[in-house]
Amino acid sequence: MPLSWAIFASFLLAAAGYIIGRSRAFASAGPDVRKLHSRPTYHGYSVALTALFPPLAVLALAGLLRMAGVLSAEAGPVVGLLALGAGVVGLGLGVTRIGQQFQARNAVERMVLGLLMLCSLIAIVTTAGIVLSLVFETGRFFQVYDWRTFFFGTEWTPRFQGNSQLGIVPLLWGTLYISFIALLVAVPIGLFAAIYMSEYASGRVRSIVKPAIEILAGIPTIVYGLFALITVGPLLRDYFAQPLGLGNSGSSVLTAGLVMGIMLIPFVSSLSDDIINAVPQSLRDGALGLGSTPSETVRQVVLPAALPGIVGAVLLAASRAIGETMIVVLGAGAAAQMSLNPLEAMTTITVKIVSQLTGDSDFNSPETLVAFALGLTLFVITLALNVVALYIVRKYREQYE
Amino acid sequence: MTDLPLSQPAAAMPGRRTGSLLAQDDRTRRRNAAESRFRLYGVIAIAISMIALVVLLATILTGGAGAFRQTYLNIPVTLDAEVLDPNGNRDPAEMAKVLTLAYGRVLDAAVDGTIARHGIQIEGLSEADIDGLISREASAQVRDRVLANPELVGQTVEFDVLVGGRIDGYFKGRVTMDSAERDSNTSPQQLMLAQELADRGEMVTRFNWNFLTNADASDQRPEAAGVGVAILGSLYMMLVVLVLSVPIGVAASIYLEEFAPKNRLTDIIEVNISNLAAVPSIVFGILGLAAFINFAGLPQSAPIVGGLVLTLMTLPTIIISTRAALKAVPPSIRDAALGVGASKMQSVFHHVLPLAMPGILTGTIIGLAQALGETAPLLLIGMVAFVRNFPDGLPGGLMDPASALPVQVFNWTQRSDPAFIERASGAIIVLLIFLLCMNLLAIWLRRRFERRW
Amino acid sequence: MYDTNRRVETAVTPDDIKIQARKVQVYYGDKHALKDVDVDILDKTVTAFIGPSGCGKSTFLRCINRMNDTIPIARVEGQILLDNEDVYDRRVDPVQLRAKVGMVFQKPNPFPKSIYDNVAYGPRIHGLARNRSELDGIVEKALRGAALWNEVKDRLQEPGTGLSGGQQQRLCIARAVATSPEVLLMDEPCSALDPIATAQVEDLIEELREQFSVVIVTHSMQQAARVSQKTAFFHLGNLVEYGDTDDIFTRPRDSRTEAYISGRIG
Repeated sequence: MPLSWAIFASFLLAAAGYIIGRSRAFASAGPDVRKLHSRPTYHGYSVALTALFPPLAVLALAGLLRMAGVLSAEAGPVVGLLALGAGVVGLGLGVTRIGQQFQARNAVERMVLGLLMLCSLIAIVTTAGIVLSLVFETGRFFQVYDWRTFFFGTEWTPRFQGNSQLGIVPLLWGTLYISFIALLVAVPIGLFAAIYMSEYASGRVRSIVKPAIEILAGIPTIVYGLFALITVGPLLRDYFAQPLGLGNSGSSVLTAGLVMGIMLIPFVSSLSDDIINAVPQSLRDGALGLGSTPSETVRQVVLPAALPGIVGAVLLAASRAIGETMIVVLGAGAAAQMSLNPLEAMTTITVKIVSQLTGDSDFNSPETLVAFALGLTLFVITLALNVVALYIVRKYREQYE
Repeated sequence: MTDLPLSQPAAAMPGRRTGSLLAQDDRTRRRNAAESRFRLYGVIAIAISMIALVVLLATILTGGAGAFRQTYLNIPVTLDAEVLDPNGNRDPAEMAKVLTLAYGRVLDAAVDGTIARHGIQIEGLSEADIDGLISREASAQVRDRVLANPELVGQTVEFDVLVGGRIDGYFKGRVTMDSAERDSNTSPQQLMLAQELADRGEMVTRFNWNFLTNADASDQRPEAAGVGVAILGSLYMMLVVLVLSVPIGVAASIYLEEFAPKNRLTDIIEVNISNLAAVPSIVFGILGLAAFINFAGLPQSAPIVGGLVLTLMTLPTIIISTRAALKAVPPSIRDAALGVGASKMQSVFHHVLPLAMPGILTGTIIGLAQALGETAPLLLIGMVAFVRNFPDGLPGGLMDPASALPVQVFNWTQRSDPAFIERASGAIIVLLIFLLCMNLLAIWLRRRFERRW
Repeated sequence: MYDTNRRVETAVTPDDIKIQARKVQVYYGDKHALKDVDVDILDKTVTAFIGPSGCGKSTFLRCINRMNDTIPIARVEGQILLDNEDVYDRRVDPVQLRAKVGMVFQKPNPFPKSIYDNVAYGPRIHGLARNRSELDGIVEKALRGAALWNEVKDRLQEPGTGLSGGQQQRLCIARAVATSPEVLLMDEPCSALDPIATAQVEDLIEELREQFSVVIVTHSMQQAARVSQKTAFFHLGNLVEYGDTDDIFTRPRDSRTEAYISGRIG
């Protein structure tokens, strides 16, 4: 942090500005402080902010130029002095504005509002950063590797010495297969748990089960990953795969799928719970009043009414499953293959992103750059699922508001 | 009313249910059976979730408990001055030139001495078995103590030295005589020797504080590995996340909830935030790698980079919960402030924000807890590297290589020695305790300050 | 103290009594919401429950088909006999009971299904039709019975939620009628409707009386006077007075009834 002294000095300058501004305001007010438009504190803030913004802007700009390679590291002291100069100029400008008529409060509020707005733009900046970095590096990958082989190639065999086969199809197959199994576990269990909690469970049961399910949601995925690696994987291998002669690998599609399913249960159940509770009570009363049993009410009235919301929830869960990393890294294995046997080890897009980017190979080799293409594919798939799901869920909520 | 009125008498209506209320007819019985089945599915679903939770926690707790206990051998070591301080002037700088290997020889002699003193005779016990009894880390342990206190040289000092991972595993039940038979790193004779020493009270298994304070150790020395660096790294990252995400997140929420005009831009921002919250975490790792390391040139494995990545990941969560907290403050409070002549900004900062604070804090803690457990993005920015040295103090330490708790867990799962699985589970226990504390704090805040309008 | 005017059933033969309530108590948690209600409701008669809000009239209505079972904290004591069978007997299945005692709610609550499926819902779950054409017949008759057939016969497959408020409420009545209940409970069925739709529903109630015993809760005394033959006045959880509608509105015996119908309480 070579320029930390400059940042520190700017803040000192701002503090000084606050004191000067306040005392100047008192002075200009004369004997009666009420003659000022704004309270002296606001004059202080106003000067402090006008002194603080210019040097910070200079430093931020310099930082960007430095990253872009326009500015060399030797320019540090010059930039620092430039920043301090800007600060002093800002301070001077701020002080000259002080007077009985100066609307310091409004000025401060305008600056603060600008700051707030800037902060809210960070979301867009993040998204832009994600898209830019993915697209840029993917572009570089496609310069050295044919995009058709990437998207349609059914073989994934990266080699250090080059000439790798980098087809995404087997990875996509593994990803979808594991996600499918995960949803097969999570959707019925999560949905039934949510139905039971909202339609049947007594207050006491709810007060125990709900927090327990929340605990399941709060457990980091690495814990699930370890669980898959040391418990579920060996269990499936010793009691299913080997006796049935279907394979002898602890890592398998089923291992990762089961554990991921458990991880998604709280996600599905809490989303479904919200959605089922949004169905108005009057519909339940109507069905019960006609003599349906509670389960008929749920199956024939509540669930059809909640269907769009539940579809949205399932899509969100699918997007989670596709993007999940640690469970598959530890539970699914690393073999890129396309097989229907769920007890065989397969691999996913996320596993390969990790293994290609944590290896030692040259950063500019196609073997490393392919990770960005995989990342972009993953981002596009999950984004599409999220956009559709969030749209459906929002439309659903509006219907009952 | 143009429709025909119902004209037939009631009894003639087709399909009207007749019969007593007190007896269930077949159809009702069938429907009630379906009802019970449906309820049962719900009970089963909840039971599966609960069982999964219990089994998950139980495996981790039982598997990891061992990491908090460690076996030590208590031996008197004669610190031979001729070996350890050839120049005889007790100058630490010169003594530092003596290699760890020399301390290994001193220790081997001490172990031999102890065995001889107790008169332990085991058939087939080889020299390698005896040398392998204590950890390779033990000589470094002794060396550090001697260099810190050169006056010890020439004396006979009692040391509690770490024993090898296999021996430690034997006392924790992980290694058995049978498995030792097939293991090239140990032998039944070695285990028998350890048992003899334990029977004589020289070898004890006790609580292992070092697990919390030690750094990671190499593949050969699981017994010396600890989560110290990982805890410190995680702590640094959480600091970065806290310092950056709270002000930015709260500022963004205030703008969007209180000030933003309803237009295309704010719509885009809102859709963006909810989508960002659902972007896979590994994508943030790619962003971190491309933007902070490759483009901005920040160092790999550094807590600052991890903190920045986690900040970007946590921001959507914090913004969403902060906006909910702001929304929960009734408009009447704003009207009251505006009514006495406060500006919009003053009404927000003087009244709305303090009232929303408990909700904001709760959301922030939950966001931090999420960030603390996140692994995947940290792998991509190099935090998976083997880090033996503690990072410096703040703020310089933010740039030093460090590990993080969940990454340390992953790191240990990739090692070949099964003793590391115990360490990994132990690290998860530490992680879960941190998460538990954070969540309890959040629950306490919610209970203590929750307000209902 | 008002025992003398509790039961006015001199003109009624016991055969005509559909529902007999004896010493009915309802508690919501600790709150004693309904106290000692005794009432005889006649077959093929419209009975109106009136009273200020919170007086217990809806609570009592929901006791008759055990809809209060769906509220966890509600507890009912006493006897309600439907054709001399206690609906709170342990052997009674509320599902069978509600097939006999239909209900129409305050707010129209059509299911998010087609008009046809809304009406066919009850007959389907109770298995009242042997085949499709019989079901068609039941649906048509119910819709005719609810004076809705001519308005919807060409769009039976459109969603029920797309109808106007008055049509929706008549659809809900058709839905209740389709299961051929013996008693029809209506909980302020017109409170969410405009005057024209209200008039249509009131006409309908008059016609429904030929088939069912209709019990209607209403906050409008004019409506009670227009549609009912018997009226019960509830106040603070007590059944204050029960008798012929004409008598209640012209010659109330209890001072509280008189105060209510003349607009001094409520």
